[in-house]
Amino acid sequence: MGTLQYLADGFQIAFQWHNLVYAFIGVLIGTAVGVLPGIGPMSGVALLMPVTASLTAGLPPEMAAASALILLAGVYYGAMYGGSTTSILLNTPGESSSVVTTLDGYQLAKQGRAGAALSIAAIGSFVAGIVALVALVFLADPLSDLALQFGPAEYFSLMLLGLCAVSGLGGKSMTKALMMTVLGLLLATIGIDNVSGVARFTYDIPDLYQGLEFLTIAVGLFALGEVFKTILENDHSSQEIIKVERILPTKKDLKDSAAPIVRGSLLGFFIGVLPGAGATLASFFSYIMEKKWSKHPERFGKGEIAGVAGPESANNAASGGAMIPLLTLGIPGSGTTAILMGALLMYNVQPGPLLFSDHPQIAWGLIASMFIGNLMLLALNMPLVKVFAKIIETPPQYLLPMIIAISVFGVYAVQISTFDLILLVICGILGYYLNKNDFPLAPLVLGLVLGPMIENNMRRALTTSNGDFSIFFTKPLSAVFLLCALAWLVVPLVLKRRGKQVVINEEA
Amino acid sequence: MNVRFDRYGSIAFALVGAFFIAESQHISTSAYGSQVGPSMFPFGLGILLVLLSLRLFYETFQAKYRAEGQAVEKLLYKRFLLMLAATVLYVLLLEPIGYVIATALFLYVTFLVMGSKSQWRSAVVSLLFSVGVYVVYVQLLKGTLPGFPAWLGV
Repeated sequence: MGTLQYLADGFQIAFQWHNLVYAFIGVLIGTAVGVLPGIGPMSGVALLMPVTASLTAGLPPEMAAASALILLAGVYYGAMYGGSTTSILLNTPGESSSVVTTLDGYQLAKQGRAGAALSIAAIGSFVAGIVALVALVFLADPLSDLALQFGPAEYFSLMLLGLCAVSGLGGKSMTKALMMTVLGLLLATIGIDNVSGVARFTYDIPDLYQGLEFLTIAVGLFALGEVFKTILENDHSSQEIIKVERILPTKKDLKDSAAPIVRGSLLGFFIGVLPGAGATLASFFSYIMEKKWSKHPERFGKGEIAGVAGPESANNAASGGAMIPLLTLGIPGSGTTAILMGALLMYNVQPGPLLFSDHPQIAWGLIASMFIGNLMLLALNMPLVKVFAKIIETPPQYLLPMIIAISVFGVYAVQISTFDLILLVICGILGYYLNKNDFPLAPLVLGLVLGPMIENNMRRALTTSNGDFSIFFTKPLSAVFLLCALAWLVVPLVLKRRGKQVVINEEA
Repeated sequence: MNVRFDRYGSIAFALVGAFFIAESQHISTSAYGSQVGPSMFPFGLGILLVLLSLRLFYETFQAKYRAEGQAVEKLLYKRFLLMLAATVLYVLLLEPIGYVIATALFLYVTFLVMGSKSQWRSAVVSLLFSVGVYVVYVQLLKGTLPGFPAWLGV
């Protein structure tokens, strides 16, 4: 069966009415998550993971996994759409990948062109989403074929590459990012060892035999951590929200932003595919590129539509591109995709090359639903932008306690144990303090997800080589991955030493 | 950036690493043949974590680090501690007094702590939320949540 046939099957899955509903709920909540400052895509997806798990509980396992992933991915790219709304109307980015959008978007809004900026952002996001998806469709097969030839040594090195990439760009201090990665890997060793069946670090506490639950830790670190931050720092702004009048962009706006949208989509996609570099970097680079290529670089920062179109397309394309390593190789390249991977693992579905042959309905159903989801988002965002702008006014005194209640409900519904709830609260406090002091959380989550797999592959590789570590260097592909991993750590260090500013990827 | 947090944090992380190193020695070996047993991975990672923590500890003494200093922020500790206490109580009471009662109480109290002006509105919203979630999840989706306590006789 050809790729197109698979895609057609995927559409059949995506068009099932309950999956349409899930996709719609996903993108709707995603947009809201993007609009609300303080909840980024990572905490949004983490928060909804347990809720979807309970929603899909009645379905057969494979259908449940497909539906859950459709909803969660919808939240992910929906947040990319929504993030632009607050950047433009409030001058406060809803999430980190929309930071650059504030530069020109808010200026445009002040000139009374908020509607044009918002709709160009939505159109750009839509085009970018489609570009990324088309590329995903055509890259999925060849990439997973390639990955099928990987042995344990190659997998180990590839995962190491993923971890190094995320740590290298993970925050202000690489030492801290690496510490978080190692801590994540260490926490993943708690529980029964997969290979030998020996209990490790469990101390006869039954709750620990299964290991620390990924879901609990992710919800605690991200969702509760964010809530605690807002409670402590009281950073909900009470700024005037600029009114949106005319929604449709003028012909000139469309003409001016066509090229930036295409450039942003392509650039964003390639940055998204790279592990470690995510939507935030993509939007930064796109802005810099547009400014360089523009005939009027002096207009940037004063309300240039290209300064909205480029970055907004780039961050959406990056979120689509980030799905490629996750689906085809089984290696998440960012915090959010790590959480998506955790969700897949919860359903006992192993992302990676075999996903496309073992569970085609999940992989292709997801891809097809992303087409539909992007269409829904375009339809939602153009006329309803005024409605979404209202979400910003949700009173925080109601919102914050409810987020705590939803976190508790979600974790309890899946785990049914008070132990996990206590762990949740502890993780929330840790998440706040670590994040506040520039200990990035994404590497920790990535380490936690990849931990068992990286260990398995390492031990399998070492077993075949009788404990000889040189197997990782003598296999050519594995050696290449290791070299890349090293480069990812060394290059930023060298650049920093030379006094250059290194753009870092904060979230998403 | 907070030098103090980083300094004590690095010590704490080093201790965590040391703990894993020490405890990995007690992991029983298995019959699964090869030199790479279940203790190797945590042992190696523990060493890495200790080394990285030492590196961070060293970094905190560098001049650049100290210069950055810390901006004094006004943090709402009282509100935070109240919310935290409410959350902890909520989590611990969830099973003994059931989902609906615990959630409604938790939301009502925290709405007021967070500055909701209307007691009436807080009560309505918290009741709607807790009853709504319970009905949808337990009655419609057949999920499991702690019901009402037995002594209520509902």
